[in-house]
Amino acid sequence: MSDLLENVLLPVASEEDARTSARALTSHDYGTVTVVHVIEKADGAPDKAGVEQREEAAEEMFEAARAVLGDVETEVRYGSDVAETIFDAADERDSSAIVVTPRGGNRFVQLITGDVALHLVTDTDRPVVVLPDDETDTDPPDTDE
Amino acid sequence: MSDGELAKDIGPLAALTIGVGTMIGAGIFVLPRTAISQAGSFAIVAFTLGGAIALLTAFSASELGTAMPKSGGAYYYVNHALGPLFGSIAGWANWLGLAFASAFYMVGFGQYIQQIFGLSAALTVGPVSLNPVKLIALGGAALFIAVNYIGAKETGRLQNVIVVILVAILAVFTVYGGLRADPSNLPPTAGFTDTMTVTGIIFVSYLGFVQITSVAEEIQDPGVNLPRAVIGSVLLVTAIYALVLLTMAAAVEPGFINALPTEQIAVVEVARLLLGPIGAIAMLFGGLLATASSANASILASSRINFAMGRDGIVSESLNEIHPRFATPYRSIAITGGLILLFIAAGTVETLASMGSVLHLIIYGLLNVALIVMREADAEDYNPDYSVPLYPVVPVLGTLTSLGLIVFISPLVIGLSAVLVVGAVLWYFGYARSRATKEGILSQFILSRSDEMPDAAVNAATGVQPDGGNYRVMVPLANPEHETDLITLASAVAKQRGGTVVATHIVSVPDQTALAGAAERADEIDETSERLLASAKEDAKTFGVDVETSTIISHKSFEAIFDAAKSHDADLVVMGWGPDSHGSPGRAESAMDELTEAVPCDFLVMRDRGFDPSRILLPTAGGPDSDLTASIAKLLQAEYDSEVTLLNVADEGGRDDAEAFLEGWATEHGLDDAALRVETGDVETAIESAAEDATLLFVGATEEGLLRRLVGGSVVLDVVDDVECTVVLGEKHRHRGLLERLF
Repeated sequence: MSDLLENVLLPVASEEDARTSARALTSHDYGTVTVVHVIEKADGAPDKAGVEQREEAAEEMFEAARAVLGDVETEVRYGSDVAETIFDAADERDSSAIVVTPRGGNRFVQLITGDVALHLVTDTDRPVVVLPDDETDTDPPDTDE
Repeated sequence: MSDGELAKDIGPLAALTIGVGTMIGAGIFVLPRTAISQAGSFAIVAFTLGGAIALLTAFSASELGTAMPKSGGAYYYVNHALGPLFGSIAGWANWLGLAFASAFYMVGFGQYIQQIFGLSAALTVGPVSLNPVKLIALGGAALFIAVNYIGAKETGRLQNVIVVILVAILAVFTVYGGLRADPSNLPPTAGFTDTMTVTGIIFVSYLGFVQITSVAEEIQDPGVNLPRAVIGSVLLVTAIYALVLLTMAAAVEPGFINALPTEQIAVVEVARLLLGPIGAIAMLFGGLLATASSANASILASSRINFAMGRDGIVSESLNEIHPRFATPYRSIAITGGLILLFIAAGTVETLASMGSVLHLIIYGLLNVALIVMREADAEDYNPDYSVPLYPVVPVLGTLTSLGLIVFISPLVIGLSAVLVVGAVLWYFGYARSRATKEGILSQFILSRSDEMPDAAVNAATGVQPDGGNYRVMVPLANPEHETDLITLASAVAKQRGGTVVATHIVSVPDQTALAGAAERADEIDETSERLLASAKEDAKTFGVDVETSTIISHKSFEAIFDAAKSHDADLVVMGWGPDSHGSPGRAESAMDELTEAVPCDFLVMRDRGFDPSRILLPTAGGPDSDLTASIAKLLQAEYDSEVTLLNVADEGGRDDAEAFLEGWATEHGLDDAALRVETGDVETAIESAAEDATLLFVGATEEGLLRRLVGGSVVLDVVDDVECTVVLGEKHRHRGLLERLF
């Protein structure tokens, strides 16, 4: 095992993303994994979806990750800046690397949703490992509607 | 700060602006003309009276909100207190009420845009003449639906700014108006009925405060801030409305408003008169902001209500799927958006406003009743931080005034609302009753005192209770050979769960045969079906479970099973698989390609070599699919006293860990008395050798897509073929069926 994947932080954004990222990780040697989902807060205004609703969605993502990775640690975090919140989680756990898989999507979609992965790579203070999605072909068609 | 506190980021001022921003909208920017022309100077009374009625309910909403800071607000309290029948009414009324109100706000938005750009000529497309206001309203609605569909956290913060601007504009307007006010300008007062009718229409201006409770879970220190925001917002907007109306009535010559051409907006013209062109521009700008922010807030709130309804089983959970990319409840927003567009196209300004009013008055009435029930039933975990003053006078008055005001609204609107309420009741009995997960405090209260309560009340409470969702086990049958074993397994499960067995004869015909042609051979099929289903009935009867039967003719038997599982509301499907059931693997392959990976409900697939549940082997490495097989094994154990052995295949040297895992897993699944067995080496070989002692082998799918694997030839399948006992493969439903791919 390389030291890089010794203590991995695996941020996930959706159930499909959790499955893909977890699967991508299993093709490498890795140590401990923490799966984290950030609930984006509007910072002083009503959020686009209820907190309880997104906590339930986070649980589904964790379940999808566990189905691939086994019993791993999971955490829900809250923050108005998703990338910053992921960095905070990595700092707290002293993660060796943040592992992401590209989510695709055309420029328009990335423009209106903000590209968290790009933000992670450009503003980082620790290694960010971008793993390819192993089974791109078998993704259900609903990934990027 | 803990994460729980981080989730709560709405401060006192932001909470107040949610209420004020939702309420100050088309109500005050569009309706004053109607109000003054119908009620004269009593238009001021109408707006004040509306505020008073809203205030009574605001007290109750505050108490319920601090006791239950949950997503969904008013709907949640009514469902919690009065049960899912009233929950269904409140949920639908709240959802549709917000859609009607949003449609009304957008028509107001259309009027302001039309006024700014001076569009007046109707647009004629062929034989259809389209009103420009409605066209703009439709376009605006589509825009705000799209904003919420994609989700932009910035709109929330913008809302705070908008509210401050609106309050400032209206404050300047009333101060100038106050300086010019002259009591002799006041138009004559109207009679009681006219005033009440106007109150009913303008009540749409008081819908926002309840939306604060629907985001209660996100408010900091809700015990203090929620009541302040709810009650404060009602007081603030009532004062603003009354002053604006006073200005409009007293600062201009009597008859000024009635003399305005219809396409002009009264508030804007009064502002022009008082403050010159700047006043008119500010008012036009304010009207745009107000109608837009009200609509935006209402669309957002309606998705919270959908979420809460879905969680309680009143509507399908699939409505509440979060978008993988936008993280918004996109389906809920899309459907609400569709309703808004429909209502804009179909309704007039007054109808839309009145529908929004009536549906909310129904909820407010129920909300006050919910408060009384919570107090009287003295439910254990009901500990509100805020208490309604003068209980029970305030909630009783709140109920009576809310429901009483409905009487004065136009008969057409009352009729439409009644249809919607009846629809919600039918919806409960037809759809939600078998799915609703919660029993109301009210029926618990009545049923727990069934001796003291009048019989009629007890009967009524029993009659409308959710029936807990009858557990349905569907058994697709293809040939008679394995019928008994499949039905036996299904019946044993159904018996333990108190459920029903649905025996379905799937007649698969080759692609070359048209289904109509097959139907012509119906007599022949009927005879086979009848025989097969009759013996299925007999077999199930020995267990004393209810049986339903049906016959399906299809080209593709696997697909037919998926469809039938959905149409029969199956919780579990027990099917056979092997060279001679539902087509051979080779033949089924083409059909399999068209299936998604997920199953529509829990699936058990049996490779039948005689059903004997005396010694069950259950290999497990954790995961949801072995949760399913564990629960089935436990049911069989209860029915047949089976010996259950749990098996884990560990790495060399991982024995201790594996044993600890199995012990924990056994306890977790209520299988404490099971024998534990740990093997090392090759998984497949270990299972095969352990299966030599077993009569029944349960295998959980290793991950999603068991049915695919059935034809794929993976590890699981080799085991199925190599052991000598009957094998049951389990795959758990993961709430991601075919239907969910619609969006």
